[in-house]
Amino acid sequence: MKKTIPILVAAAAALFILAALILGEPLAGWLEIVLNWAVIVASAALLVAIATLILTHLRNIVRGKRGFIFSIILISTFLVSFIGALVLGMDNSAYLRWVAAIQLPLETSLLGLSALVMTAAALQIFRSRGWSLLTLTFGISALVFLVISLGLLQALNIPVLTTFINFLQRLPMIGARGLLIGIGIGALLMGLRVVLGLERPWGE
Amino acid sequence: MNPMDIVLGVIGIALSVMIFSYLLGDNFFFRAALYILVGVSSGFAAAVLVTKVILPRLVEPLSRNGTDAFWLGLVPLALCVLLVLMLVPRTVKAGTLPLAFLAGTGAAVAIAGISRGTLAPQLLSVVNRFSPELLRANAGVNWGGIVEALFILLGVISVLFYFHHRLSRKSAGTQRPLLVEGISSVGQIFLGISLGMLFVGFFSAALTALIARMLWLKEFILALLAG
Repeated sequence: MKKTIPILVAAAAALFILAALILGEPLAGWLEIVLNWAVIVASAALLVAIATLILTHLRNIVRGKRGFIFSIILISTFLVSFIGALVLGMDNSAYLRWVAAIQLPLETSLLGLSALVMTAAALQIFRSRGWSLLTLTFGISALVFLVISLGLLQALNIPVLTTFINFLQRLPMIGARGLLIGIGIGALLMGLRVVLGLERPWGE
Repeated sequence: MNPMDIVLGVIGIALSVMIFSYLLGDNFFFRAALYILVGVSSGFAAAVLVTKVILPRLVEPLSRNGTDAFWLGLVPLALCVLLVLMLVPRTVKAGTLPLAFLAGTGAAVAIAGISRGTLAPQLLSVVNRFSPELLRANAGVNWGGIVEALFILLGVISVLFYFHHRLSRKSAGTQRPLLVEGISSVGQIFLGISLGMLFVGFFSAALTALIARMLWLKEFILALLAG
């Protein structure tokens, strides 16, 4: 019985939302209410996740675990950011400027660093997966599109070359379409499995 | 530059250098920078959730005693209380009910969104290539259009074939028929081309960010030196 109730709740919520989306107007008001509940519960779940993160790091500090200095850094920056928002207000320009001054350099530097890491990872793929049709076409495609993205070939202004480049640029869309359809079918099946109670992502 | 700009700029430089120190290997400064990012971001996210969702959508309706909004607010309140109980090890299982509700609503929204927003448009764009208007050219047959449509159809089917049979080969561990192997190989080619293009897209974005960061560092230091 304990296992059945969550399955019933998930199925009822999913079936109601699907029915409301199909029927439209008659259930529109109730759909809005249920989606509002979902937004509130999802936010609460995120807050619980953040609370769990903070509690875990607090425990690390109390027990003096290895690397607890990082836990102190995390909790202190969390408190400054969270209390700062509550005291000054979320729309306070000084607060937003300080948060941006910390987040922006960190995020752009991480993105910049990922360019270097990606180069190493791209070379690593041939070592770890060997020479297959997939890795070979990936390597050639990456090189070709790198050259095309430089724009030098387009600058030559040769009509045949421009037509060929246009054809090449349309080529990845075919595989991407297959990828999207594959991901879509997979996600659709996973959704149906949750609705039918075959999949229980909430754990037992 | 005013003193605040200098302070924020120096913080920016310090954090950037801490991140780029990873090039010398995993070290204390890089890790500290990551923990700062996680701390600030989670604090900001928590503040947004409290001020923009929990207070206006849950607490405010519950303060209007006796109204419809009050009674309707009791349901998410109960679910939120069950979620909070997850923080206590003894009552961790109480969270399955709100999580099941979230999984159900998420699954329904995903089913509707994917079927309408992804599958239908993608499948239609393949099928529409075969529409008579596109395949006719000046009262004749547009052979170029037909070849392109067949090419796209072959590409999409072969990529799906590759995914499906890669999984079935992994589970069964048997040799596949030659036709299946051939179509899968074509799928691998199309997939490799797409992944290569995606890689270049991400790489270009990351490289642009790297150059922008370096330029900002240079300009800030020059401005600082110039006073």
